[in-house]
Amino acid sequence: MREIKLFLGPQHPGMHGNTSVHMYVEGDIIVKSYLLPGMLHRGFEKGMENRTWVNNLALIPRICVVEPDINEMVFAMGIETLTGMEVPERAHYIRMIILELARISIHLMAYGGIGGPTGHYTMMYHAQADRNTILDIFEKITGHRIYHQYIVPGGVRKDFPKGIEKDIVDFLDDLASRYTEHRDLGIDNPTIKKRLDHHIMLPESVVWELGVTGVGMRSSVNKPYDLRKVTPYARYSEIDFHVPTSDYSDATCRVDIKLQEVVQCIGIIKQCLAKMPEGPVRTKLEGNGLRWKVPKGQVYSAVESSRGEFGYFIVSDGGTKPYRIAVRGASFPQGLLGVEKYLPGQRMDDAALWFDTMGVCSPEIDR
Amino acid sequence: MMNSMSNIELVKDLKARYKIINADVVRDTQIAVDVTNGDVHSVLAYLKSQGWRQLSILTNIDWIDDGEYQLVYIIFNWDNPIWVQVRTRIDRDNAKFPTITSVYPGAKYYERDVHEFFGVEFEGNPEALQQLFLEGWDDMPPLRKDFDAKAYSDKKYSKREYTTDFNTKEDEK
Amino acid sequence: MEEIRIKNAFPTQETAEQRGTWTELGDYFRRQSIWMLMYCTGCCAIELPQAMTTVYDMERLGMGPMATPRQADVLLITGYLSLKTLRRLIYSYEQMSEPKYIAAFGPCVLNGGIYHDSHAVLNRLDDYLPVDVYVGGCMPNPESVMNGFVDLMNLIKDGKATGWKRYRDNHEWYRANQIAAVGEVFVHDEFHE
Repeated sequence: MREIKLFLGPQHPGMHGNTSVHMYVEGDIIVKSYLLPGMLHRGFEKGMENRTWVNNLALIPRICVVEPDINEMVFAMGIETLTGMEVPERAHYIRMIILELARISIHLMAYGGIGGPTGHYTMMYHAQADRNTILDIFEKITGHRIYHQYIVPGGVRKDFPKGIEKDIVDFLDDLASRYTEHRDLGIDNPTIKKRLDHHIMLPESVVWELGVTGVGMRSSVNKPYDLRKVTPYARYSEIDFHVPTSDYSDATCRVDIKLQEVVQCIGIIKQCLAKMPEGPVRTKLEGNGLRWKVPKGQVYSAVESSRGEFGYFIVSDGGTKPYRIAVRGASFPQGLLGVEKYLPGQRMDDAALWFDTMGVCSPEIDR
Repeated sequence: MMNSMSNIELVKDLKARYKIINADVVRDTQIAVDVTNGDVHSVLAYLKSQGWRQLSILTNIDWIDDGEYQLVYIIFNWDNPIWVQVRTRIDRDNAKFPTITSVYPGAKYYERDVHEFFGVEFEGNPEALQQLFLEGWDDMPPLRKDFDAKAYSDKKYSKREYTTDFNTKEDEK
Repeated sequence: MEEIRIKNAFPTQETAEQRGTWTELGDYFRRQSIWMLMYCTGCCAIELPQAMTTVYDMERLGMGPMATPRQADVLLITGYLSLKTLRRLIYSYEQMSEPKYIAAFGPCVLNGGIYHDSHAVLNRLDDYLPVDVYVGGCMPNPESVMNGFVDLMNLIKDGKATGWKRYRDNHEWYRANQIAAVGEVFVHDEFHE
C-alpha cells in the first residue's frame, strides 16, 4: 500500500484549538506524524518584559485560555516568595474555591469534547450547560465570565458578594445528583465504550521518558503524584480529599479518573466554605502600584492544573518590570514529543481523540 | 535510593561531590546551584539516579550587560519533593552547548525552543536547528534583549489610523 | 503600501447595491439559514460552544456548524491572527463558494488590541480580507455574539453585506497586501521535504 500525506489541519471539527498535525498514512494506520505548533504564538514572554508588574495582571490570564486562574495563582505565588508578603487566611480559602471551580469547569469541557471526534454531540450539550452555570457564578464574584484578574499578589481583589455561598452549594448538589446521568450518556454507553476501551494506551515507561504529569501519570504509575498532596500550597494540607489513581491506562480509565476528580472537587469546595474564617482579603502594596519593585531573585513556582504541572520561572533584577518570565505549559511533553513518537501506530480515526484524552491544550504550548 | 533529604542536606551532598560556584536555598521546597559547563551532565545524571526523574523546564536568561547567557535546568523528584535549579553560564556571541537528551529524552523540544528564540546551538541534537513556532522568520532571534518587538511590529504590519488623538499625557517609564 | 491603495476598495459607508428581484428574494431567505465554518482561530472561540448549545441557542436563528468550507456561508474570525494562521485562513476563505461573509470578533483584529506591540500578531485585518461585521468585547459574551449575528442577518437582507464582491473586484490589491505581509500564500510541508 502506498503512503498518503495528510494534514489534520487547523480547520477540523474535532480539533482542540488551532494546531495542525502533518502525517503519513498507510491504509488506516498512521506511520509518521509531527505536530505543527506556532499558530497561536503571540510573544507573551517578550510582552511581559515591557510591562510593569501590576500591568502584567491584564496580560497573563490569556496564556492558557480555557483555565485562566492557574496563571494568576502561579504569578502571585512567585512574587510572594520573592517579596515575603503575607496573605490573609480568608484569601487562601477563597483562592482554593476559585481554583477548584475552574477545575470542575475544564474537566466538564474535556468530557464534552469527546463529542466532537466521536460524533456524539449530546455529551457536549449537557456538559456545556453545566459549565455555563459555573461561568455565571464567576461573573457574580469577579465581574467577567472568562478572564477574571481576581487573584493578585497579596490576596484576592475583593470579597465574595452576599448570598453567593447558597448559589455555589445549590449548583454543586445539582451536579452531584446528575453524576450517573453524565456517566450513562458518556463512558457507560456501549457505543462509546467500543471507541475508548483498550485504545490509546499510555504505558509507564512512556510516562517517565516524556515527562508527562497530571492525569496521564496518575493513571499509569498508580501513585498519588499530585502537587496538592506532595507540596501543598494555599491551605490544601488542612482539607481532606483523595487522589484517584490506577495502573491500566487506556482512554476509558483516564476519562473515568477525571469524573472521579470532579466528585472530589465538590467535597473540597464544601469543606472550604465551612472552614473559611472572617477577616481581610488583601494585603495592600506599599507605595504607588505602578512604581512597585520586586527584590532580586529567581524562583520557580508551580500548581497542579487539570493537565499536569503548570509553572512560571520568574527572574527579577530589582526593577519595576520583570527581567524574564518563562512559562512551562503542562501539555508541552505530550503535545510535541508524544505526537512524534507515540501517535504512529494508532488508527486515523483515533488521532483527534488522542488529543482530547491525553490532555493537550494548544495555547500553552505556543505561548 | 536515598530516603528523604531536606534541602540543606541536599546542598551539602552536592557540594561534597562537585565544584559548586554558588548555592541558594530559595524556599523549603526549592534549591538552586551554579555549576561549571563541564559539570552539568554529571550533576544531572547523578541526580537522576537518586530519583530526580522529571525535567520540568529547560530555559535561558539573557544577561546582556555581562555578555553571557545563563542556561537553567529545573528538575523534580516526586518521592522527595524538592525542585533543583541547575544553572550555568555560557558566552553570548558564540553560544554552543552539548545536549542532554541522553539523560532526559524529553529535552529535545525544549532545546529546539531555546535555539529558536535565543540562537543557542546544541551539539548532538541536529533537529534543533529547524524552525518550530515561527515560519519564515527574517530577523534575529526574538527573545534577545537587543530585539525591539514594537519597532518590528510598526515596520511590518499596517496600523489603523484614527483622526482623533486619544493620548492626553506622555506615559512615564 | 500607501501608494497602491485603490480608492474604491474602502467604501466608508456601506451602500445598498442595485439588486434584481430574484437576488433580493434570495437574500431574504438566505439570511435565515447561515452555516458557519468550524475554525477556532483564537481566544474568543471559547464562548462559541456556549452560544451553540442549549442556554443561548444559536439554532433558533437558523445558524449551525458546518465542517467543510465548500458548503459554509460565514467564516468567524475569533480573535487575534498570527501570520501562520493567515496563510491557512486565506486557503479556507478562497475555497468557500459565493456569497460568503466574514464576522470578526474582538479588538485584536481592529487595531491590535492588547497585542499591539507583539512581533507575531497582525494589527488590522481589512487590508487582507474583507470584513462585514465586527463584534466588540474582550472577550464578547454570548449575548454580544448573538447580537452580532442578528446585525449580519439584517445587513444581508438590505443587500449591504458585500465583502465578497469587493474581494472579487479588487483581487490584485488584496493579493499584493497579502504577499507583502505573508511572503507567499503556500503551505510548505517542511517536515517532510
